Amino acid sequence: MSSISLAHVSKWYGQVCVVEDFNCVFQHQEFVTLLGPSGCGKTTLLRMIAGFEKPSSGSISIGERIVSGPKSFVAPEERGIGMVFQSYAVWPHMNVFENVSYPLKIRRVEAAARAKRVEEILEVMGLADFGQRMPNELSGGQQQRVALGRALASSSQVLLLDEPLSNLDAKLRESMRFEIKEMQKRFGLTVIYVTHDQTEAMAMSDRVIVLKDGRIQQVDSPSTLYRAPANVFVAGFVGKISCLPAQAVAGKIVFSGGQSLAYTGEKRGSVLLAIRPENIRLRLDQGILPGVLTHAQYLGDITDVRVAVPVSDSETTHVRLTAPGRSVDQIAPGTSVWLDFDDYLIFDREEEASITI
Amino acid sequence: MHPKDCVRVRPAWLDLKSVLIFGIVAFLLLFTVFPMLYLVFRTFVGDAGFTWEAFARIYTYDLNWTALSNTLVTALLAMVFGVLIAFPLAWLVGRTNLYGRRFFRTLFLMTYMVPPYVGAMAWLRLLNPRVGTLNLWLMDVLGLAEAPFNIYSISGLVWVLTCFYYPYAFITISRAMENMDPSLEEAARISGASPFKTLMTVTLPIMLPSIVAAALLVFISAASCYGIPSIIGAPGQIDTVTTRIIDYVYVGSAEGLSDATSLAVSLMFLANLVLWASTFLCGKKQYFTVSGKSTRPNMVDLGRWRLPLTLLVVLFAVVVIVLPFVTVALTSITQNLGKPLGLDNFTGRFWTILVTRKGILDTATNSLIAASVAATAGMVIACVMAWLLTRTRAKGRRIPDFLITLGSSTPSVVIALGLIMTMSGRFGINIYNTLTIMIIAYMVKYQLMGMRTVVSAMTQIHPSLEEAAQISGAVWTRCFWDVTLPLIAPSVVAGWFLIFMPSFYELTMSTLLYSVNTKTIGYELYTYQTYHSQQTASAIATAILLLVIVVNYLLFRLTKGRFSL
Repeated sequence: MSSISLAHVSKWYGQVCVVEDFNCVFQHQEFVTLLGPSGCGKTTLLRMIAGFEKPSSGSISIGERIVSGPKSFVAPEERGIGMVFQSYAVWPHMNVFENVSYPLKIRRVEAAARAKRVEEILEVMGLADFGQRMPNELSGGQQQRVALGRALASSSQVLLLDEPLSNLDAKLRESMRFEIKEMQKRFGLTVIYVTHDQTEAMAMSDRVIVLKDGRIQQVDSPSTLYRAPANVFVAGFVGKISCLPAQAVAGKIVFSGGQSLAYTGEKRGSVLLAIRPENIRLRLDQGILPGVLTHAQYLGDITDVRVAVPVSDSETTHVRLTAPGRSVDQIAPGTSVWLDFDDYLIFDREEEASITI
Repeated sequence: MHPKDCVRVRPAWLDLKSVLIFGIVAFLLLFTVFPMLYLVFRTFVGDAGFTWEAFARIYTYDLNWTALSNTLVTALLAMVFGVLIAFPLAWLVGRTNLYGRRFFRTLFLMTYMVPPYVGAMAWLRLLNPRVGTLNLWLMDVLGLAEAPFNIYSISGLVWVLTCFYYPYAFITISRAMENMDPSLEEAARISGASPFKTLMTVTLPIMLPSIVAAALLVFISAASCYGIPSIIGAPGQIDTVTTRIIDYVYVGSAEGLSDATSLAVSLMFLANLVLWASTFLCGKKQYFTVSGKSTRPNMVDLGRWRLPLTLLVVLFAVVVIVLPFVTVALTSITQNLGKPLGLDNFTGRFWTILVTRKGILDTATNSLIAASVAATAGMVIACVMAWLLTRTRAKGRRIPDFLITLGSSTPSVVIALGLIMTMSGRFGINIYNTLTIMIIAYMVKYQLMGMRTVVSAMTQIHPSLEEAAQISGAVWTRCFWDVTLPLIAPSVVAGWFLIFMPSFYELTMSTLLYSVNTKTIGYELYTYQTYHSQQTASAIATAILLLVIVVNYLLFRLTKGRFSL
C-alpha cells in the first residue's frame, strides 16, 4: 500500500518557519493537491516527501516505512517515488527513450524488458515516434510528457508533481489536466500535486489541502472547499468572493445601512458576509442591498460587474458579480441598482482578523 | 505637414551601427588579422612564389623539434592534470557542503589573476635540486640522501604550468556548474540514482562540453606561455616553442626573424586549430537550461567525508597557493638566499629599492599608462560590441566578435611578432619602440575578457527596461546612457580590471616590443629575476600580488560578490 503520512512535520530555515506542525495522511491511490500562494510552504512539503529537504522535526512515512524521522533518513533515490519537476528537468544529453528508461536502468531492469516498458510508456504518452529525439527538438508540452513518462516508468506507486503545468500555455494546460488524471486512474497512483492554480486543484483532486504561511487552512474535497470554506482566505483562494461587514443577531443579519436579511445560523456579533459573484442577482427595482454600478465588462458568456455598496458613512466596498450574457448592457455606470442574493457565507470577524492579511 | 514627411531617409552606410562595426572591424583587421596573415605570407611565400622552404628549414634543427615536442607534452599534461584538479574542485566547492566553500571559491578564482611567472619564481626557490627549501625540508624529514624533486625538468615545468593554469579550467567548469538547473540532478536522484551515480550519468555528461572547452583553454594557455618556461626552462636547458621564438628574435638577423616567424606560424596554427575544435565541439551542444525556478542548487551532503575532503582541499590550497606566495614574499626580505631566513638574514633593502630605483618606478609608470589606456579603450569597444551583439540585428555584428576571439586565442608571442613585422615602417605605419604598439598588443590579447563580462551583463538586462526608456522619448544613445550603463556599471568596472591587470604585469609581448624608453614592469621583473637579484624581483612580484588582492577585494565589494577576477 502506498499511503503517505506526515506527522508533526516542521521546517525552519534559520529563524523562518516555512512549514509548521503539518499532519496529514495521503491515502492509497488518492489524488491530493497542495494549494496555496507562493511562499506558503507547499513546494517545501513536496521536497521533504521526495527527500530533497530534511524536516526540522516530525516524521514522514511512505507505506509502512519511515523515510524521515528523528533518527532515520532515507535518501531520495531509495524512496521509490516518481516526480515531475516544474522545469521538466529532462536531461539534455539523453534522447527521449534514454530519459524515460533511466529509472529502469538504475534498477537494473534487463534490456529487453526495459525497452518494452519504455515503448509502452511512450505509447501512452503519445510519444511513440519520438524515442530517438533529443529534448531540444521537442516542444514544451512534449518535454512535459517525457518528464511525466520518466516519473511513471519505474512503476512506483507514488507520484509527486511540482507545479508541472505552470510553464505551459493555457490550452495545453487544460488538456494535460485530463491526461494527468487519466494516468492516475490507469496506474492506480497516489498523487501529491503542488499548484497555486485553483482550477487545476479543483479539476483533478480527491482532496485539496489549502496552505497559507506554512499552516493548513482546510483539507476537504473540492466541492466542500467551494461550498463550505473554513475561512475567508480559503473562500477567496478557491473561487472569488466579496465581503461585507454586518452584525449577526438572533434570527437576522443587519447591515450598516440598516438593511437586514433572515439568518438561522449560530454566529453572533460582528461578522463578515461573503458572497460569490455567481450568487448575486442585479435588479433595478428592489433587493437586499442598494449600490451604484461602477463597471461592467462583457466577457462573452457572462458580464463581469462591479457595484459600489456603502458599508459606512464614508466607505464603500466594491462587490463583484457576474450577470449572464449581455443582460447589463442597458444599465449605464452610475446607475443605482439593487443586489439580491440568498446564498452566502458567514465568517466571524474577529477570528478572521487573526488569519487574513 | 504630414508627419511622414519629416522622416529623412539616410543611406545605409551612414547608419551609426554600420559605422561603429566598420570602425571596430577596421581596427581589428589592421592589428590582428593583417599581422597574422603577414606572418603566414612571410613563411610560405618566397621570391618564387609558394614555398615550404622556410618552414622546412626550422624543422631541420633538432632543437626546434625538441622545443615543439616539449611544448606539446607539457601543455597536454598540464591540461590533463588541470582538468583532473579543476572538476572535482569545482564540484566540491559548488555543489557540496564542504566547509568554507565560499572562501575556497574566491581563493581559487583569485589565483587566476596572478602572473604565472610568479609561480615559476616561487617553485624555483622551493624545488631547486641543490638549495630548494622544500627539497631540503623533505630530505631532512624523510632522511633522504638527495633532493626528491628537480624543478629544472619537464615534470617541474608541468607542475608549475598545472598550478597556474588549472584556475582557467576551474572558472569555466564552475560557471557551467552554477548555470546547470539543479532539478536535472534531482530528477536522477528520484529515479533511484545515488549521488555518485548522478554525478557520473547526469552531471558529468551535461558538463562535458564545458570540460572540453576548459581543457582546450588550459592546453593553449600552457602552450603559449613564455614566463614559466623562460624562468624554469632556461637553467634546465628545456626549450619550448615560445622560448625558441624569442631567442630567434633576439638573434636579430634577417634569418633569425624569419625562423621566429616560421615557428610562430606553427604555434598560431596549433592555437587556431584548438579554437576551431573548441567552438565546433561546444557550439553544437549548448546544454545550459534556463530554469524557471530552483535557484538554490541542491547541496550534496558529504556526510562523514566532509571533514577529510575539506582537509584535502586545505592541503591543496596550502601547497599550490599559500606556499609559493609566502616563498616569494619571504624571498623579498632575505639578505642572503643561501642561508635560512632569520633575524640576522632579514633585510628591507629590496623593498627600499622597489620604491626608490628609477628603473623600477619608470617601468611601473609605463605599465600603468599602457594598461590603463588599453583597458579604457578596450572597454569602450566592449560596450559598443555588447550593445551591437545583444540589442541589435545589425548586419556583420558577429564579425568583430569573431575577430576579437581570434585575437585573444592567438599566442602572445605571435601577436607581438606580427606587430613587429608589420608596424615598424614596412607598410607606412611605424609605431615600433612606442607605448602605442604595446597598448595595441594588450588590447588584441585581453580585449575578449572585458567584452565577455559586459556581454553577459547585457544579456541579463531585459530589453524591456531599455524599451521603456525609448517609449518615454529617449533616443538609443540616451537609453544607453540613462538605463543600460548604470545597470552594467559594475561589470564595466570588472571588465576594465580584467584587461588592466594582465596588461599591467604582462611579460611575453613586452619582452618583444619594449625599447629603452618603454620597458614595462613585467620585463623589469624578469631581468632582475634572471640577471641581477631574485630578491628585488620577488619584491616586485609581491607588490603585484598585493595589487591583485586589493583589486580583487575592491571588485568583490563593488559588485557585491558577483565579480571577482
